[in-house]
Amino acid sequence: MAKTDVVAMILAGGQGARLGVLTKYIAKPAVPFGSRYRIIDFPLSNCANSGIETVGVLSQYQPLALNTYVGNGHPWDLDRNNGGAYILPPYQRSGRSDWYKGTANAIYQNKDFIDDCEPQYVLILSGDHIYKMNYARMLRDHIQSHADATLAVLEVPWEEAPRFGILNTGADDVISEFVEKPKNPESNLASMGVYIFTWDVLRKALIEDENDPSSNNDFGKNIVPMLLKQGKKLVAYRFSGYWKDVGTISSLWEANMDLLDRPEEINLMDRSWRIYSRNPVKPSHYIADGAVVRNSALTDGCQIFGTVEHSVLSNSVTVERGAVVKDSVLMPGVTVRAGAYLNKCIVGFNTIIGEGVRAGATIEGKTPYINGKICSEGIVVIERGLKISDHAVIPANCQVDSDLEVDPAENVVEEVFRVV
Amino acid sequence: MFIDAMGLILADNNKISLGELSKPRALAAVPFGGRYRIIDYMLSDMVNSGIKSVGILTLNKYKSLMDHLGTGASWDLDRKTFGLHILPPYVNSEATGVEDAEELAGILDYVRSNRSAYAIIANSNMILNTTFNDFVEKHEQSGADVSVMYNRDGTKYGIPNYIFDVDRKGYVKDMLFNPQKTTSNRCSLGIIVLRRELLLDLIAEMIARGERSFGVHAITKKYDTLRIRAHEYKGLVLRINNVQTYFNSSMMLLDDKVRADLFWKGMPIYTKVKDEAPALYSDSSTVSNSILSDGCRIMGSVTNSMLFRGVTISKNSKIHNCVIMQDVHVSENCELENVILDKNSVIRPGIKLVGHRDFPVVIGKGAIV
Repeated sequence: MAKTDVVAMILAGGQGARLGVLTKYIAKPAVPFGSRYRIIDFPLSNCANSGIETVGVLSQYQPLALNTYVGNGHPWDLDRNNGGAYILPPYQRSGRSDWYKGTANAIYQNKDFIDDCEPQYVLILSGDHIYKMNYARMLRDHIQSHADATLAVLEVPWEEAPRFGILNTGADDVISEFVEKPKNPESNLASMGVYIFTWDVLRKALIEDENDPSSNNDFGKNIVPMLLKQGKKLVAYRFSGYWKDVGTISSLWEANMDLLDRPEEINLMDRSWRIYSRNPVKPSHYIADGAVVRNSALTDGCQIFGTVEHSVLSNSVTVERGAVVKDSVLMPGVTVRAGAYLNKCIVGFNTIIGEGVRAGATIEGKTPYINGKICSEGIVVIERGLKISDHAVIPANCQVDSDLEVDPAENVVEEVFRVV
Repeated sequence: MFIDAMGLILADNNKISLGELSKPRALAAVPFGGRYRIIDYMLSDMVNSGIKSVGILTLNKYKSLMDHLGTGASWDLDRKTFGLHILPPYVNSEATGVEDAEELAGILDYVRSNRSAYAIIANSNMILNTTFNDFVEKHEQSGADVSVMYNRDGTKYGIPNYIFDVDRKGYVKDMLFNPQKTTSNRCSLGIIVLRRELLLDLIAEMIARGERSFGVHAITKKYDTLRIRAHEYKGLVLRINNVQTYFNSSMMLLDDKVRADLFWKGMPIYTKVKDEAPALYSDSSTVSNSILSDGCRIMGSVTNSMLFRGVTISKNSKIHNCVIMQDVHVSENCELENVILDKNSVIRPGIKLVGHRDFPVVIGKGAIV
């Protein structure tokens, strides 16, 4: 393999269980976001735009969609002769085989891949954040500060600090302590899950961590505290700009709505830092006579005959005449039949919302689909590849899961079909 | 799908002018249908037929075409063997005085180096979504030298048209260009198939005779010596013959049936990927019966129109019956009706432009109004 100065490793193997049915068949990084994109487009495009051309994508949970999506890396200009995008699944060795046990173990298991590139630095990224960031600038700071590791941090409002992994720092932003979700935070610098390590240092730490049977093999929980204990120099790199963890239904919904309410923050129109994605090859979208489209984001292949307000539609969504879609996120290929009403719904790939269905935050009622663990703020989530029965009523905070056993009288799923 | 054929697409057509639109670029590179260029349709048809080797013949102004086609990756034609080849005019500095023969010599080399049994040659002014497998198969079975596609609705698209008269067996017995009177409504689609070996012979003969130009109809006019079979195509075809038909064909795409036939038959039309952001509609937008593309920002009113990628329509501006190409900026308080705006043009605040449905106003590439 060609030698390179820096290798990026994207941790994309997690299930993302808090996204409920949205990640039943696909890994979280492959979940559609923001009309045209998948979540993983953001770290991949950031790498390409930062000039990092060797990118390992660690996949494990439901890898099919993610692997076919990343493919040879062509959409991100990562089909390189020297380097490029590599899908790195867990593998069998002679005598044994291991799944990725944690984020650090996933990198540990691929240390040969990194060694072959002979890099000086390794960039560790996660596949579940929406942000635009120039990693080259962070690397420059890492080199200039002679750090062993540099962690990107974001100043969060103090009242939100207890939700994050917080870094306490001293002079020159040198990190003194890492505290996971502190009750009484001493600092408001939240770790963004973006790390640059000097490879020699990380390599030793990974081996040591692997030999510790009590370790969770996790970067935040184990590797960073271990390096701090060893007296290594860890420096915080302050990032300012839009950044959002889309690990929950409500944060995924919010991040989509941010594109409409605060488009200037993530600024997808910025041609100097394009977010690339695999193209669905569909014609331009069509808005029919009598349709209403306001305050929304649409892309190729959409056909709108009804009303779409304050919503984010992925490619090839059809909204039929008389249907109303409000404050919703519709993933590729969704059809909303005539007269249906959706409010604050997230609908998975290719699902057909039957005629006259009423679903969402403003709908009241009792049903076994209500799921307070996954859904909040009234958001309704609907699995992909379903036909929702005509005139079904789906009240606030429901998760429509075809595997949920419900009384036939309460069932809203008419049909389940395979989504390619 | 397997097909033993190579494709040749003629990017220019000296009988067709789209005025301002074809001034800065080859006919094939004129934007059409939202996110596409004219050539995307024919090129996708060939790719969807299983053709893996396509040569694009250009005469001049081919920079924008080359930008668009690149390596052919968007059509899956970036291949080790064959793939996409752009064939610019072949200039041999040693030869003097026999210019036309030089042009053909380049094509001759390209066709000779191919290994396919058949060659499909097409003009690029026809917009259709089809595959050529049946066309080639019927040609093979018929034993004809050449098969040429036609349909019967060409005359409604205005001139220029080649009209065929055929004998009882369906072979061409006469070919007329824009005839005043005709006994036939068979209008050429400018698409032919023939054996590659025969094509080589024909090109060699053209060179030897010093003939002026190579093209589909330069071959079909040899109906006296070749057995030329007329093959009727019954699907939807939009013809781009002049600015009026360009405009009308664009407006026809607003029809649900036309879009279904052209875009949703399961055979995708490929084009260069631009990675624009999704289109954003503001609170103040009203849009109806229109096609819009990624990267558009709509704050005004758009009706019966076609917007390409990256178009901005500012507040209180009204767009009606317009075709607006890539990255055009329409400022506030404008009113445009029956206007074609070429790429990168800018309409300053408060401008009112009204064309006629049959004679749209055309604003050239990069113009500031």
